[in-house]
Amino acid sequence: MAKSKDIIYGLYNDEEHLIEAVRAARADHLEIMDVYTPFPVHGLDPVLGLSESRLHIAGFVYGMLGTLTAFLGMTWIFTKDWPIIFGGKPYWSVPAFIPITFELTVLFASIGMVVTFYIINGLGPGVVNPTIDLRITDDKFCIAFDKSEVDTSKVESFLRGSGASEIHSKTI
Amino acid sequence: MTYEFSGKSKMWLLIGMVVGAVCLGLSWFSGDDGLHTRFWSNFLHNSVFFTGIALMAGFFMCCSITAWAGWYVVFKRVWESISMFLIIGIPLMLLIGVTVALHMNHLYHWADPTMIDPTHENYDTIIAGKSGFLNTKWYIGGTVVFGLIWIFFLSRIRSISLAEGQTGGDGFEKHYGIRKYAALFLPFAGFGSAAMIWQWIMSIDAHWYSTMFAWYTGASWFVSMIAITILILQYLKGKGYYDEVSTEHFHDLGKFLFAFSIFWTYLWFSQYMLIWYANVGEETIYFKERVTKYPVLFYANLVINFVAPFFILMRNDTKRKMGSLGFVAGLVLFGHWLDFFLMIKPGVLHTAHLAGGDHGGGHGHDHGHGHDVAHGAHESVFELGFTIPGLLEIGTFIGFLCLFFFFVFTVLSRVPLISKNDPYIEESLHHHT
Repeated sequence: MAKSKDIIYGLYNDEEHLIEAVRAARADHLEIMDVYTPFPVHGLDPVLGLSESRLHIAGFVYGMLGTLTAFLGMTWIFTKDWPIIFGGKPYWSVPAFIPITFELTVLFASIGMVVTFYIINGLGPGVVNPTIDLRITDDKFCIAFDKSEVDTSKVESFLRGSGASEIHSKTI
Repeated sequence: MTYEFSGKSKMWLLIGMVVGAVCLGLSWFSGDDGLHTRFWSNFLHNSVFFTGIALMAGFFMCCSITAWAGWYVVFKRVWESISMFLIIGIPLMLLIGVTVALHMNHLYHWADPTMIDPTHENYDTIIAGKSGFLNTKWYIGGTVVFGLIWIFFLSRIRSISLAEGQTGGDGFEKHYGIRKYAALFLPFAGFGSAAMIWQWIMSIDAHWYSTMFAWYTGASWFVSMIAITILILQYLKGKGYYDEVSTEHFHDLGKFLFAFSIFWTYLWFSQYMLIWYANVGEETIYFKERVTKYPVLFYANLVINFVAPFFILMRNDTKRKMGSLGFVAGLVLFGHWLDFFLMIKPGVLHTAHLAGGDHGGGHGHDHGHGHDVAHGAHESVFELGFTIPGLLEIGTFIGFLCLFFFFVFTVLSRVPLISKNDPYIEESLHHHT
């Protein structure tokens, strides 16, 4: 685990307040460490200034890899390696290859994206990720600041002013 | 804000309609075919295409209402207007039914009464076996009954929706009325469209059938409907209307265009592969004829309706940019029109040959004897208007498209574009994908 951080965070009861607060914090040039929500909040990413994820590009590459693996693999197997006649069809029966090509495309893309996602986010078996507050998995929306990057008193007054229902400090 | 259907737009659409009428009229005289096969097949092709688009607009609107969806509400008047085109489309289909009954054409294989007469040399056991359903009574009756039911429900929904736009407050009473009609409409639209697709399109090749055909054709209509919705909204935005329709709405429409193009491909391919794999002669003949005689269209169909939207609309930003989305919408609309061409023309030509009428454009194209597709399959002759769309077909398409737009814009211009009192309007105005 990385070295511990002193953080200060505010909890909000409503996603609309959260988005307004994030917008205000960025306008005040307060460096937000992270935002935690119990569900994906629409429109939060652009407000946070996050760039678009490139995971889907990786997904496309994995998918094409799956397509080629399946199609070229079957082509090799059924024309060179072990040609068998099925139902009087030619060895190289493209329509019959399509369903398996489709399946492997989906399989490669999905597994590849999941693995990539886990690696990029440092997730995996045995990794312990500290939960700032258990209620962020239930009904609270959280904006967290790293105390070493911001002026704590300024953040505190900001959180109070932007409608946070609770303000806490913690070392994680 | 109300859409003002300007005189200039009307004039352009009227010019398009005149072009269409001229092209349709010329196809009546095209060739020496006494049955005017080119005319009737073009007429059927375009009528059924646009009627289906209207039905699908109503169907999807009712699905959305029933599913408590709110995102589309800002432009729901467009779908209401498109669905009203059934008032034109159903009479067009009825006209075809009546002319089939009067033997003015040979669009449908089953329409020849000698085929179900056991004493006649033309007696055909397959046609006779299906004659309980494939007959003019069912054709006309189905068109009238389902057409009236569809028009009734969609008109009721529209009129309640208009009343809601004028007087509805924060109450849900009017919306519950719409929901009731929408939910009742869905089974009629679902089962009715399947039955009418069997009658209107699949029965052209009356020996052949596919249990996936209704789905596949319905998906084709659906994608065309989404494409035409995108084009209409882009046009209206370009004219300064519908500021409230945002990139988010277009993004969702783009997703539907993308997703249902794939859905269409899935159905197209499933139908094709099962028939290819089973290799039963009566079924395979359908594709054999299309692959060998219409190779360009057969593969272009897949490229235009699957490969192009799949790769172009795959990215996030291409669904949000007006240029790329509009391009794909136009392309796919034309592509599905080609798909219907491919559904209708080969079977009609086959029937016309059996009926003894030469199809006019034939240049040394097995005159005299019946068009035995099994043996004639090697030939691949391009004939404008028959194996690929010619100028008259394109012109007719433009004419019908202009008629469609003229009707939709006329209906649309009668009431404000946005229903201020719909309970979901706020959700729609703040839509985020």
